[in-house]
Amino acid sequence: MKNRARRRGKSPDDDRRGVAQASPSAPTSVGNLSKLATQIRLRAVHMVGIQGFGYLGQALSAAEIFASLYGGGLMRPGWDRFCLSPAHYAVVHYAAAAEVGRLDPEALKSYGANGTLLEAISTERTPLLDLTCGSLAQVISGAIGFALASRYAKDDRRVFAFLSDGEMEEGQTWEAAMFAAHHGLERLTVVIDANNSQVDGQVTSVTTLEPLADKWQAFGWRVSEVDGHDADALVAAMQSSGSERKPLVVIARTQILGRLKSVPMTADGHFLKLDPSLKQAIIEELEAQLA
Amino acid sequence: MRRPPYEIVMKPYGTALVALARERSDIICLSGDLTRQTETDLFRDEIPDRFINVGMAEANMIGIAGGLARAGHTVFVNTFGVFCTRRCYDQVAMAVAYPNLDVKIVGFMPGLSSPGGPSHQAIDDIALMRALPNMMVVDLADATEISQAVRAVVERRGPVYLRLKRGEIPVVAEPSHRFSLAKAHVAKQGREACIVASGMMVPAALVAADVLEENGIATCVVNSPVIKPLDGATIVTAARGAGVVVTAENHSVIGGLGSAVSEALAEAGVGVPLRRIGVADVFAESGSREYLFDRYNLGVQNIVEAVWAAVAPKKPVPVAPAMPVTPGTYSPV
Repeated sequence: MKNRARRRGKSPDDDRRGVAQASPSAPTSVGNLSKLATQIRLRAVHMVGIQGFGYLGQALSAAEIFASLYGGGLMRPGWDRFCLSPAHYAVVHYAAAAEVGRLDPEALKSYGANGTLLEAISTERTPLLDLTCGSLAQVISGAIGFALASRYAKDDRRVFAFLSDGEMEEGQTWEAAMFAAHHGLERLTVVIDANNSQVDGQVTSVTTLEPLADKWQAFGWRVSEVDGHDADALVAAMQSSGSERKPLVVIARTQILGRLKSVPMTADGHFLKLDPSLKQAIIEELEAQLA
Repeated sequence: MRRPPYEIVMKPYGTALVALARERSDIICLSGDLTRQTETDLFRDEIPDRFINVGMAEANMIGIAGGLARAGHTVFVNTFGVFCTRRCYDQVAMAVAYPNLDVKIVGFMPGLSSPGGPSHQAIDDIALMRALPNMMVVDLADATEISQAVRAVVERRGPVYLRLKRGEIPVVAEPSHRFSLAKAHVAKQGREACIVASGMMVPAALVAADVLEENGIATCVVNSPVIKPLDGATIVTAARGAGVVVTAENHSVIGGLGSAVSEALAEAGVGVPLRRIGVADVFAESGSREYLFDRYNLGVQNIVEAVWAAVAPKKPVPVAPAMPVTPGTYSPV
């Protein structure tokens, strides 16, 4: 496949960045994607560990989604578009980009620090994103703009938009969902990290978004619902570009703490406090998975 | 500039946009279920493949415009002024202004020109758009200037809020007039008083200045369609030495032309008394333009009185001539 071939092609940056682990040269192997997800989590723990608190839950939750997006041979860098809606997920973007050799791992140490380009909530300055916005639910509309632009240009770019579940409470999501289906934007793929977590607690305790699959289907989308911690299933779900002139939504069912046993279930997943002992416990659990 | 009653033309914006889009294939036209009302029925009918009706979903429309602009398009977003500013302010800020994109937001039915009551009356749109970094703000109600402004805002890279009168558009400037985004236009000279106006208040300012002139007060009129960035230099030059500066805008007196002029004069150290004619920090009501402009003090007489009270308070105030409304023409209130 064209995109995989391009993924395997070595970029001039690869040597400089010293990519060692989970190289994008073997992006589709289930074992490797699963390992890539674990390495993404590990990176994120080290990044958030510097300040001792931050958006770690987002990385624990979405590690497999980012492993499949960045390492699953789905996206052709510089061609296909990647749009990160919940900017608080910047941490997992940085960690994943470093793991696949698109970002200098050394730079991760500056995550969230004053003056850094690797801001904790991604912005216009954030590297390697086509679109992001800290004010939630806006990015899906911009992704539609990209998909329309590809249609005007008659090219084959795909547009991937990563969304979180809580932001679907914003009405703009549904304005956009209606529009994309009406216009049959089959090159648009939305993947939702459905982890049932928002700032004030469980999404189900705040409002009722379910049944999510039925809602998107009713709005005219092709819907795929998968275990969001199964990178293989995610890649399979996102692989198919639409043929029936419908946009695709992949609802990735996840757990905000990434099913880690070392994190107490009572922890605040949205903004996790990471004291040295918890950090150590998580690192040990993740390293055991890699062993 | 001409004096009323003015000849009327229809759809100068829609006509100019179609003409420019024929030259430039990057232009996309978005509408929010107000296509005829925003003169973009012309675009829809002439260049249908680059026209998209997003429907009643302004937040989505602004986001789509941003995405298209990131991919290299120049995007015109068309709806009423209230709906593309107030209703989707965060989207305009984050999806257009902050990334400094080539999105031209065109808001029709300015201030109290709408009979639709406060939901349809954009009295705060200039203030809102002016507060956004990167955003240029232009207020127009003259067919000569509108026809030229479409190309000008495209040639200016970055986001623009273009505020346009809806419906019958008077021809105020002569055909030889050259519209500029950089320079305010001194439409009439005079050293004793200075009126700075934009959009629908320009005709009223011209008539008021004539009335004042006939009564011994040499009054200049600065037509300042670009409210941000304001051409402070031209306004300061016109205001220096005058007995009063009166701003005239079809908008709240807070945050619009009056505020911008005050800031420019104060920062230049021009200690001239200033009076702001505009909507006095109130929500209005339904009614015709004539009724509302009279009731909310946006008429020629209001400008005359504001100048007169400052420069000749002890003498009886001149009375502006009645402005007969004849079918097929346009006159200020």
